[in-house]
Amino acid sequence: MKGSEALETTTIKKKSKINKERRKQYIAAYVFLLPWLIGFLGLILGPMISSLYLSFTRFDLLSTPEWIGLANFQEMFQDDRWIASAKVTLTFVFVAVPTQLVAALLVAVLLNKKMMGVGFYRTTYYLPSLLGGSVAIAILWKNLFEIDGLINQVLAFFNIQGQGWISHPDYALGTIIILATWQFGASMVIFLAGLKQIPKELYEAAAVDGGTKPQVFFRITLPLLSPVIFFNLVIELIKSIQVFTSAFIISEGTGGPINSTLFYTLYLYQKGFTQFEMGYASAMAWILVFVLGVMTLLIFFSSKYWVHYEDGGKL
Amino acid sequence: MKKWYLFLVLAFLTALVVACSSDSASEDEEDTGSEDTTETESNDTENDEEASDKEEVTLRVAWWGGQERHDRTLQVIEMYEEENPHVTIEAEYSGFDGYFDKLNTQLAAGNAPDVIQFGGNLNDFVARDVILPLDDYVGNEIDTSLHGESMLESATFNDQLFGITLGTTAWGLLLNETAFEEAGISMPSKEWTWEDFKELTPQLTENLDGTYGTGDFGEDGFGVFLSQTDKFTYLDGEIGFEAEDVKEWFNLWKELRESGGAAIPEVQVSATQTPEQSLIVQRDVAIESVASNQLGAYTGATEDEFELYPYPSNTETGKNGVSLRPSQYFAAYKDTEHPEEAAKFMDYFVNNIEATEVLGNDRGAPVNSDVRKNLIDQATELDEAVYSYIDLVSETSDAPYVPNLPGYNENTQLFTETEQIIYYEQQSVDEASEEYYEELLSNIEKYEVEEE
Repeated sequence: MKGSEALETTTIKKKSKINKERRKQYIAAYVFLLPWLIGFLGLILGPMISSLYLSFTRFDLLSTPEWIGLANFQEMFQDDRWIASAKVTLTFVFVAVPTQLVAALLVAVLLNKKMMGVGFYRTTYYLPSLLGGSVAIAILWKNLFEIDGLINQVLAFFNIQGQGWISHPDYALGTIIILATWQFGASMVIFLAGLKQIPKELYEAAAVDGGTKPQVFFRITLPLLSPVIFFNLVIELIKSIQVFTSAFIISEGTGGPINSTLFYTLYLYQKGFTQFEMGYASAMAWILVFVLGVMTLLIFFSSKYWVHYEDGGKL
Repeated sequence: MKKWYLFLVLAFLTALVVACSSDSASEDEEDTGSEDTTETESNDTENDEEASDKEEVTLRVAWWGGQERHDRTLQVIEMYEEENPHVTIEAEYSGFDGYFDKLNTQLAAGNAPDVIQFGGNLNDFVARDVILPLDDYVGNEIDTSLHGESMLESATFNDQLFGITLGTTAWGLLLNETAFEEAGISMPSKEWTWEDFKELTPQLTENLDGTYGTGDFGEDGFGVFLSQTDKFTYLDGEIGFEAEDVKEWFNLWKELRESGGAAIPEVQVSATQTPEQSLIVQRDVAIESVASNQLGAYTGATEDEFELYPYPSNTETGKNGVSLRPSQYFAAYKDTEHPEEAAKFMDYFVNNIEATEVLGNDRGAPVNSDVRKNLIDQATELDEAVYSYIDLVSETSDAPYVPNLPGYNENTQLFTETEQIIYYEQQSVDEASEEYYEELLSNIEKYEVEEE
């Protein structure tokens, strides 16, 4: 009996010792995290909470905010420009995200082959996404698509009369979608990494069984890549619903011609900073957060049906 | 679970730490405030410094403009610093795009510059109660005795002076003389009418390769157009025009586009306010509407020769509708720590002979009559053209100065949007004009409520 009691106490002691060490480690971890935590609370959470409050107020940036309840949210659905801006952003998301992902996947499959100078090509195709969000690229784009821009000069060489692409309401959004598609590099790199992880044995087995190239792609590559597609889809959705810089530069902050490039974030900026309606702008921001959340959740739920994990999804 | 628990605890702890530290900081301030002795002591030292006139002062001065304006203004700032060694001036300058967005953010954060350049939208900012009334400084730091009466009036709201006018200007048309020569068309008379204009512009388009007769005169042009029949946009709380006038204006331009005289939509939409990239400098059009003080900036951006013309006049009234107007103002931020120093700098900027010689005509003809005389005496050919244009306007037009519509940013965007809707035929002129007029009225109502 005595022996067993002694044994028990030692195990308890051991356990508490482990706990102490763990606790020490935890504390160290949080101390290291502290700078980030402070930043998160001061620069992200704090402003978010105050913007949530402001979304229920009328606030012109200078006077004290005046509580108006849900009026900002109600006003949105009667605001033609708000509706136009939501349309522009949704069009952009539904066109630019798929085209960008398809382009990234195709180029990734091509660059996954062993060939001369593949490193050079990978770098080249990745480059645009590094430059992507920059002001310089947006200005370059503007000059390309202007009425006497490079695109039209090339077209003129083939005797085709070009349009003023960025100054025509039917085409302006298209040029920004092309700009976004062109920046597929980041997703491409992730696809490349995903492709490298697909076990070679599967391809060998397929070759032995005489699978055709499309069969191999759709039956092996695509299903095994689906977790990566899922990841890219969510990231690109979040990125493109918030697109701002290119539209701001190309339309000089107006969202024109005739609101054709009035992205949601651009309109939000106009409301907040040029028309002094910061309460309305805050309300717009929260609608954006809500819609983005719902869309991401939908993708997550749908993933059950189309994302295949090799290990059955158990990590 | 445990991890989450710990995370939350720590998160709240940091929140507490952050909150406490800021609290203690404000407590400190309160403490020093409540101790009367320290307060008076610090005040005394300040007074001593002021008495010896050598308190170190930093003034922040903000303006927008092109390169030429930046160079000239910076030079005057250097001169001022040399004469007033205790003053350091931090210049905050940029192009027009984004200038007011940045200013709004600074105003909201409570750290706006001490001296700020405004345009015709000064009224919007006075209404938002962020501008320092200057009446206490007039006659002391600022001498306005030689300033033109109408220019002072334009910066006066509710009987208080809020801004120092930096120059007199007038809307006008820039005609590209070189392009006219190339087209083999002689320059029109300065007493021309819209009929002449309608006849002339298609000829220009036809005879020039890739250049259209004229660019759209836009919202500013519409204001001039109204003055030609003694109407106005908005003055003393009243709207001075009807939806019919809007229709007439947009129909005029539709006609000009159909005749080939005015630039096609795709060209017009890409127009900018920056002289270097403007349609007339880029040779997209041969005629463009500008403010007269910008003649130098436009001429400097190209080899072509430009000449300033008044607007074509209304055939029936014979009026060209152009009026003298303030170009820009300097105004002081309401919460500036150094109002006297800010006032002194503004005074130097518009009244000092050497400073105004450096500044020249860039912000319009000087409002101080002595300064103006001095500048006219030594004017270059280009400056002379501007002065004689200003003279021409004051001789030929009795149009009053009409300030900007309240809610300038929003209404200007509305006007441009309406133009584009008509350009691309998304609505008829009548429909678009009526919608414009309706939305304008509700905008004005909105801003008026705010201003009360």
